Amino acid sequence: MTDHDGRLSRLGNWAEARALTALAVLTSAALVVAFYYPTATVLIEAVVVDGAVTLGAFAEVLTDPFYFGELARLLSGESPVAVARALLSPDRRLGIVGFTAYQAVLSTVASVALGLPAAYLLARFEFPGRRTLRSLTIVPFVLPSIMVAVGFVATFGENGTLNAALTTLGLPRVELMFTLEAVVIAHAFYNAPLVARVTTAAWESVDASAVETARSLGAGPVRAFVDVVAPQVYPAVLTGAALTFVFTFGTFPIVLALGGFELVTVEVLVYRLVRDLSYAEAAVLAIIELAVSLGVLLAYLRYEARQSTGARGARPLPRRPLSPPAATLRELLPRAGLAAYGVVAGVVFLAPIASMVLASVTGGDGALTLDHYRFLVERQQTGAAFQVRPWPAIRNSLAFATGATLLALPMGVVVAVLTTRRYRGRTLVDAAAMAPLAVSGIIVGLGLLRGLVFGVEIGGWRIAASGAAAIVVAHAVSGYPFVVRTVSPGLAGLDRSLVESARALGASRARVIRDVEIPLVWPAVVAGAAFAFAVSIGEFTSTVVLATGADAYTMPVAIERFIGRRLGPATAMGVVLLVVTGVSFVVIERLGGDHRGL
Amino acid sequence: MTDDESRTRRRRARPHTRRRFLTAAGAAGAVALAGCSAEQVDDGGDGGDGGGGNGTDDGGSESGDGGDETPTLTVATYTNFIDAPSVSPGEWLKGEFESRYDATLEWATPDNEVNYYVERAASGAGIDADLYVGLTTEDLVRVDGALDEDLFAEAGDVDGRDAVKEGLRFDPFERAVPFDTGYVSLVYDSTTTEAPETFDGLLDDEQAGALIAQNPGGSATGRAFLLHTISRFGDGGVASDGDGEAVAGGDGDPDYDYLDYWAELQANDVRVLGSWDDAYAAWSEGEAPIVVSYSTDQVFADMEGADLQKHQIRFLNDQAYANPEGMALFADADEPDLAREFMSFMLEPDVQGEIAQRNVAFPSTDGAELPSDYAELAKEPADPVTFTYDELQGSVDAWVEAWERQYAGN
Repeated sequence: MTDHDGRLSRLGNWAEARALTALAVLTSAALVVAFYYPTATVLIEAVVVDGAVTLGAFAEVLTDPFYFGELARLLSGESPVAVARALLSPDRRLGIVGFTAYQAVLSTVASVALGLPAAYLLARFEFPGRRTLRSLTIVPFVLPSIMVAVGFVATFGENGTLNAALTTLGLPRVELMFTLEAVVIAHAFYNAPLVARVTTAAWESVDASAVETARSLGAGPVRAFVDVVAPQVYPAVLTGAALTFVFTFGTFPIVLALGGFELVTVEVLVYRLVRDLSYAEAAVLAIIELAVSLGVLLAYLRYEARQSTGARGARPLPRRPLSPPAATLRELLPRAGLAAYGVVAGVVFLAPIASMVLASVTGGDGALTLDHYRFLVERQQTGAAFQVRPWPAIRNSLAFATGATLLALPMGVVVAVLTTRRYRGRTLVDAAAMAPLAVSGIIVGLGLLRGLVFGVEIGGWRIAASGAAAIVVAHAVSGYPFVVRTVSPGLAGLDRSLVESARALGASRARVIRDVEIPLVWPAVVAGAAFAFAVSIGEFTSTVVLATGADAYTMPVAIERFIGRRLGPATAMGVVLLVVTGVSFVVIERLGGDHRGL
Repeated sequence: MTDDESRTRRRRARPHTRRRFLTAAGAAGAVALAGCSAEQVDDGGDGGDGGGGNGTDDGGSESGDGGDETPTLTVATYTNFIDAPSVSPGEWLKGEFESRYDATLEWATPDNEVNYYVERAASGAGIDADLYVGLTTEDLVRVDGALDEDLFAEAGDVDGRDAVKEGLRFDPFERAVPFDTGYVSLVYDSTTTEAPETFDGLLDDEQAGALIAQNPGGSATGRAFLLHTISRFGDGGVASDGDGEAVAGGDGDPDYDYLDYWAELQANDVRVLGSWDDAYAAWSEGEAPIVVSYSTDQVFADMEGADLQKHQIRFLNDQAYANPEGMALFADADEPDLAREFMSFMLEPDVQGEIAQRNVAFPSTDGAELPSDYAELAKEPADPVTFTYDELQGSVDAWVEAWERQYAGN
């Protein structure tokens, strides 16, 4: 008996000691199977054309002014002085790649500008519904682009709500549609919530005692903010900015829906080239996209590694009431600023969503109707077995997102632990771990078709995977970088002595992570989980590739299927998506709780 | 032989797919991890489908397990053909075909449409379908350019093929048999504008910002409209490979080509959005009064009880670009004879009428049975234009690229 127990506990210790290694191996395997191998089957076509290795396709793209503008002339050997002069002239050409980066920078600036005040409000003030509002901030992140396009046209269009309001107020009308501004605002609609969410998590972790110390040493509130709070918050702002740049650099349907072909980006061309089976050129463009996006992510990671944010989270800053306690300038000014921000946020975030909801209850004759919801019920009851029906879509979306989140969390935590250590080659590990964020979604989709759905032949067996489990793994792979990015700044800032004492007392590495480190960065883990869930809910490309048969489709697939001449049925399904994900986010954060380890 | 049999059965019975998948899961630990948690999800999915009340597919696969005699025909197509929010012919065709022939029809609608089968063929994974429904001339050109061996077989002995209209037969190698056709034209709101009657009219000052078109690189209607402008103004030799040979336009002016026309159209504020959805949604919201769409627009408008004055059709220069859709047998089909019977079935006069109405298109054969008032709402141009297989081959990519380079130009 005792002997048996002893063996069991020794086995337990052995397993515990190796849990970290085992998880790291599993994470790598998932990445190889559901990302690296599939993606490689497509990217290889950039350099292997008809079985021969060539750099011809690369050279052609790099020296083509259509893609690289004036820079292409530099790459084709013209003098740097002439190129610099051309770049400074008013009619310079940016090329598609240059323009794509330019609009991504603008979108990043707009997203940070619209995200920060929200973070300030959510992290520093107390008001009824604050936690629910914080949970709901990521909702825009999951909306399919066609829904956003519908909401934006209805809000900012010729006959939209904004123009109606401006006319009523006697102000001049605006012509926003089909401009770069419309695209940038739509990108901010998607990404400002991301900036807000990661910044809020960091701001809530700022230790109040550090601020109090600074104040007691005579620093004014502004000085204390600049010296103590800001250094702990802006790594998170940069996280949000870096992710926003990467997403908007790879932007695809929204640019053409709200802008037009004048604003064509690299990903739009990748889509066309893949559709026309011109794989070599598509792969070259995808590799260029990857290089730019990874470059930005790595530059940011180098910065993050140099930051040591110090102790955090022991006691958060006390929140202030939203209604001013006294009528002083110091109390009124920030609140007036937030009120002004509230108006802007109402126009940018709430109005498009409200327009979408309104479209779902508006009939062809303009009168209010529940017909579109009746369509959903009818489709559920009478749709053929091979047709997409609402309820299985909802059920699958929730099941896949839950599975993907449960898988992405350990993957993300393990990678975060591995990448907060300092060792040679860490940059490489970072790059490898973040690559799923930076590769063109269209290329990943094609790769999953080749690598997973068709599979590989090994020893006379064709090994393939598709359906629900493959979708969950693919979603987890796209979602886990968010867990890494939200968790690792916190882990890096942990007091090492805590970990070392626990180790000295005999705790295994895995146990320290579970019992000490994770509880200390819990808000970041919950934020990461919400992102992983959101990524899975909103995912479209790999879902349709891997959903073989009619029983693995999700809500975004249903929305796409219900688009017709009338937008009603699709918008009704969009509202269902909105409600289901909104409730899910609230539940996730409630389950996550507000509790902290120490 | 055995190989063929097992392949057919695997396709019919879902559990096999799952078992095959579990084999894969065993090979990769990570997938196994997901496999455990996700298998339940999969089971849940199947259960739900059965509970949904309409278990045709499930029923088919169950009988498939117990030594069945009923052959299964797998028909690949695009999703709208079987699943659209308004009407689609898929369900009716399945029911009708199964009642007339002793066979089970299964639809396959991969997201990449025909490109999916090009990928399958290239990967050596087997085709897994008997025929494809919904091929266009361009699809055939693209497929033939990408693969060395034939993806599709010759149609051969298909009853009713003679009835297909001469002008629609787009495959010079007689693989694809047209089953319907559509026309891409302008749709406009006559309560706010009167659409011009010619291409040149779109360049008038009063039409500034009036037209919404779609990206020819990502949308079928957008590409058809681009091809229509090439047919009208010529290609200026952009696809000539240096031999100076140009496609002449119907305008009779060799010095003015489609790129010149598009430069003027762009100067007149045309909007080129992404997909047909984007464009039609923006048009419906009144962002511009004219949109590139299908000539059957009033059929849908009528179904929804909308004001037909807001859904007027305009054929520029009395023309519209025709997009005939064909069906073709996969060279690798398991059931070639049954597939040919299906093709004959698709060409029968009553079926032709049903397809046209349910796909909201026009029959490909003479003598299709259509309600006498069908033409009142579904409009056909006096002078349909379309490029042939030979004209598109080797040119269409260059046409689209030249347009992209001129139009984007940043």
